[in-house]
Amino acid sequence: MSKSLKHDEEVVNASSQVSIHYHDVIIIGGGLTGLRAALQVSDAGLDGAVISKVHPLRSHSVAAQGGMNASLGNVPGEDGTTDSWEMHAYDTVKGSDYLADQDAVELMCREATATVYELEYMGTVWSRLENGKIAQRPFGGAGFPRTCYAADRTGHNALQSLYEQVLNRDIPIYDEFFVTSLVKDNGRCVGCTAIEIMTGNVHGFLSKAVLMATGGFGRIFNRSTNALINTGDGHALALDVGVPLKDMEFVQFHPTTLYGTNILMSEGARGEGGILLNSNGERFMEHYAPNSLDLAPRDVVARSIEKEIKEGRGHEEGYVNLDLTHLGADRIMERLPGIRQIAMDFAGVDPIKDPVPVQPGQHYSMGGIDVDIHGATSLQGLYAAGECACISVHGANRLGGNSLLETVVFGRLVADKIIEDNLNSSKPDMKPIKIDVNVVESKIEEILKRKGAENFFNIKENMSKSMFNKFGIYREAQTMQEGLKEIKKLQKTLSHLSPNNKNRVVNQTLIQFLELEGMLKIAEVVANGAIARRESRGSHTRTDHQDRDDEKFLKHTITFLKDGNMDITYKPVKLGMFKPKERVY
Amino acid sequence: MKLKVYRYHDGMTEPRYDTFELEPTSGLTVLGALFQFQQKFDDSIAFHYSCRGAVCGTCAMLINKVPRLACRTQVAAILNDELHIPLSPYPAIEEKVEWNPKDEVLVEPLPHLPVIRDLIVDMEKFFDFYKYVDPVFKPSDPAPEKERLMDPSFVPELELYTNCILCAACFGSCPVNGSDPQYLGPAALAKLYRFHIDPRESNDNSRLKRADEPRGWWDCDFHGNCRRVCPKEVPPLIAIAKAREQLNLEKEK
Repeated sequence: MSKSLKHDEEVVNASSQVSIHYHDVIIIGGGLTGLRAALQVSDAGLDGAVISKVHPLRSHSVAAQGGMNASLGNVPGEDGTTDSWEMHAYDTVKGSDYLADQDAVELMCREATATVYELEYMGTVWSRLENGKIAQRPFGGAGFPRTCYAADRTGHNALQSLYEQVLNRDIPIYDEFFVTSLVKDNGRCVGCTAIEIMTGNVHGFLSKAVLMATGGFGRIFNRSTNALINTGDGHALALDVGVPLKDMEFVQFHPTTLYGTNILMSEGARGEGGILLNSNGERFMEHYAPNSLDLAPRDVVARSIEKEIKEGRGHEEGYVNLDLTHLGADRIMERLPGIRQIAMDFAGVDPIKDPVPVQPGQHYSMGGIDVDIHGATSLQGLYAAGECACISVHGANRLGGNSLLETVVFGRLVADKIIEDNLNSSKPDMKPIKIDVNVVESKIEEILKRKGAENFFNIKENMSKSMFNKFGIYREAQTMQEGLKEIKKLQKTLSHLSPNNKNRVVNQTLIQFLELEGMLKIAEVVANGAIARRESRGSHTRTDHQDRDDEKFLKHTITFLKDGNMDITYKPVKLGMFKPKERVY
Repeated sequence: MKLKVYRYHDGMTEPRYDTFELEPTSGLTVLGALFQFQQKFDDSIAFHYSCRGAVCGTCAMLINKVPRLACRTQVAAILNDELHIPLSPYPAIEEKVEWNPKDEVLVEPLPHLPVIRDLIVDMEKFFDFYKYVDPVFKPSDPAPEKERLMDPSFVPELELYTNCILCAACFGSCPVNGSDPQYLGPAALAKLYRFHIDPRESNDNSRLKRADEPRGWWDCDFHGNCRRVCPKEVPPLIAIAKAREQLNLEKEK
């Protein structure tokens, strides 16, 4: 399918017809992290390639609306003060409810300004101030107007710029390849296998290093802002080769997703002055965050909305109103044109005239593949960056505008580490890849031969409902135990089922089936982590353990697969400049 | 309400159409309808999807003979004829398929690109033409210490073109793309123009010359279908008209 197949050094084994490709570095995922890393690898003179299950421009990064945080200081603070990376770091650590590793936060915040400039140098069209500098707007949990933006299409603009640069360097892209396994040899990751979706053929990819840049797992929840492709494939692949996942119970619920479809209504809407109103027309955030009001961090606002709805002050169908009408048509058209269009297309509401119905929905995965500050996992040769990784800069709650930042900063920095390590490693042996291709072939054959009668799409629906209802904004031991039981039951049921479509060519149902296998594993990891964490911190809110418990739980949850079973250990948090204290907004 | 879907894969002598009774749910989009088809009727149906929020550009297809994003198109609105888009005619939308527009939504692959399977088309040609216009930022000055300054008054015009999501709806709607297989098409030309007007690049016509040839700026017949079907209201016609004007001015000098 992909014309980029011409680029690589293809080795076809005539006897078994297995295509094996070699690249120094394999990057799985074509969003902002993957593409930024690909540029870095290419500029270092190494042969890197991107594998993605969709065309890179269809990656979920494209949907990021609000912006990217950096202490450029282009807009002064309220009392005329100037922003600094230290203030950015402070807000990030406080926002994380002190679970973030402060060395990683420091690194990200120090690198932030250079990262925004870097995108500007690549041609990204940022919104501008009258003086021609990059515009910045206030965002939740931030002490300064720190969020650089391109209207409400920041991810789209940044992704287009990076894609243009990747294309310009002729970096090979294997698009519409679904990665099926990571391959290990002598304690080292030496590549992966992947199904070419358009042909159904399984390919082997041999490399000195693999970077996971596969994004989040939002679709394990039924109410999610995430693209339909956000199925956590990278998390499941890592788990399968014994690499641990970290802090997976910390799932961000965005306060303002469009009622009905849960498409994101950017925090930028409140940054520009939008307010939340309950069914009595009250600005209820006054009761929950008297200082920050509607611009309190996401966990705080999401809990407040959920409480209003549960206590009968929401609209009957389960939403509150996001009112932008007082901003006026000009400001909405200039700063928030994208979400206006979405509200009109998907809810039939024009925000210039009427308030927008919103409800909280899953938005982001703070947890992810456990990596050190260089993005390296416990498996030599395997790295992770961006949303699929947990480095950890977001801790228990991510601030808006920090995820786009993380993708580009660590896309670059982790690539630097890979480049350094690559020089010292030898070209791996092809044999284990060939074996794995055969393993995957047999697995697919086995799945397609199954006779289970139930429609497997029901499993996906039941899982995502269970996860939202039992592991949503408010959590409690007994319902979570029920939820975990349901997940395990669904895993068992799925192991007998099969897609009806038995073809190998363009079998998207088979891909969805394989995604679902991984999602059920991730759901179990989230469930286990949430049950074990008997405290409330950031996004993880236990009605049966309402306080934060630093003595017992100021630590990272580490989950791994051992002999087919899940096990949990803990790791200390790296504190630094900022000592944990009560988090008030 | 029904979905009538184009089906084709290698080995079939000609395409067939499958009709499926939809379960009417609130806010059902054509993409949602395709998932219903996949999950309840035939899971071998092939179609592209990703964001489901009209930002990623992957699900452009021909819906009731108009190129649209499936995720953004409401089934009820189509059946009530609320989304009428008048198009300049071209062969791909004139083909006779019998369907009842009051009760059926007709879904077919995007025209002017080869069909791989069902509703999936091969986008290679579209992206080859995109790449042909050299879509990469070429600043006229070396990078300063901080950001390059840009007068905010330049931003609205730039945004008209940077908003393009490369969904190829315009490509599938353009009569010239149908008749001239070499025509670069509206999206690629709009992209080229985006770089031409970027105030951070050199302010001459060097960018425009890249498409100063019959398959470029000069092939457009100003049907205007591209602008009418664009989900992001990108105006390739304006770019093309302005490019021609600027090139003509230079030639007259």
